[in-house]
Amino acid sequence: MNVLPCSINTLKGLYDISGVEVGQHFYWQIGGFQVHAQVLITSWVVIAILLGSATIAVRNPQTIPTAGQNFFEYVLEFIRDLSKTQIGEEYGPWVPFIGTMFLFIFVSNWSGALLPWKIIELPHGELAAPTNDINTTVALALPTSVAYFYAGLSKKGLGYFAKYIQPTPILLPINILEDFTKPLSLSFRLFGNILADELVVVVLVSLVPSVVPIPVMFLGLFTSGIQALIFATLAAAYIGESMEGHH
Amino acid sequence: MANMIMASSKALITASSFPTASTTKPRKAALFDFNLTLPAIMAEFLLLMFALDKIYFTPLGKFMDERDAAIKEKLNSVKDTSGEVKQLEEQAAAIMKAARAEISAALNQMKKETTFEVEQKLAEGRKKVEAELAEALANLEKQKEETIKSLDSQIAALSDEIVKKVLPI
Repeated sequence: MNVLPCSINTLKGLYDISGVEVGQHFYWQIGGFQVHAQVLITSWVVIAILLGSATIAVRNPQTIPTAGQNFFEYVLEFIRDLSKTQIGEEYGPWVPFIGTMFLFIFVSNWSGALLPWKIIELPHGELAAPTNDINTTVALALPTSVAYFYAGLSKKGLGYFAKYIQPTPILLPINILEDFTKPLSLSFRLFGNILADELVVVVLVSLVPSVVPIPVMFLGLFTSGIQALIFATLAAAYIGESMEGHH
Repeated sequence: MANMIMASSKALITASSFPTASTTKPRKAALFDFNLTLPAIMAEFLLLMFALDKIYFTPLGKFMDERDAAIKEKLNSVKDTSGEVKQLEEQAAAIMKAARAEISAALNQMKKETTFEVEQKLAEGRKKVEAELAEALANLEKQKEETIKSLDSQIAALSDEIVKKVLPI
């Protein structure tokens, strides 16, 4: 898109009405460091939602479950099934990790799409899903890397490093590269999907009358849910792959 | 790309001294801005994981597993008692058979006794009746003979009378 031939007025008009604040953050200063406060604030809301609803629903479990307890049992069974499929029989200790990963990303994405964050006006930047920030997605991908390393090392000891020369030593550089591309792809996949969906919706909303962006919003709900599932499934798959028995 | 657009538009705007849209000075757009947010979110995630495990995953998971185990146990125990039930049923059937045999034996016994008694009584009654019948017959015979005898004497008298009346003198 060649912007220079456009007149000043068009550009300014676009800048005025677009209101798209890409890459604008609300900064807080903590010690010598800066943080993206909008990410922290929305992540606190997500954590509050998760902990609050879990506490209320799981209080006093009944043999014949109430609606809330039933929903949370369904979610737990879903997560256990996901972990078991990917990791195998020793999936038990990994359920909290995979479950928290899935729930945090899912609730973050959907909160960004469904909650009316625009009501709260920040001096700079805006509130949105916490996963639309590269810091968050990398902060989720790095523990995944650590987790699958830990899984492999704790199960096989130093024999874990034998997997780098399997099936053939020629693939050693590729296997080493995988250790970098795995977290990279995890974080960028999530970041790109969520940020791009937000941008599409915001641009459509600012350019086109109200009904048109709604299908895109539904698509956004669907894909953001899928992204949460994909992140969790891949995390479990990497862990399972590291713990895999001898070929 | 976004940087370029914003930078060029900003340049053009300030150059022509139009008032800017936002009151605060827009900073350079930063999409890949890594800072303390990263470890902050990582710490938050780990804390969330431990909290959720303590509140939700472990308690509810244990509850669900216990419930499944209880249901399985109940199912198994039901299967076991069905064998017991069969045994009890057989015992009951045996008892019923024995009882029925007893009853029929007792019944037969009673029947025999009562028929015997009945026949006895019948025989007695018959004898009595026959005796009375014989008596009555004997009486009848006696009366017959008496009447015949009396009739005989009367017949002789009657026939004399008749002859006297019939034969004219």
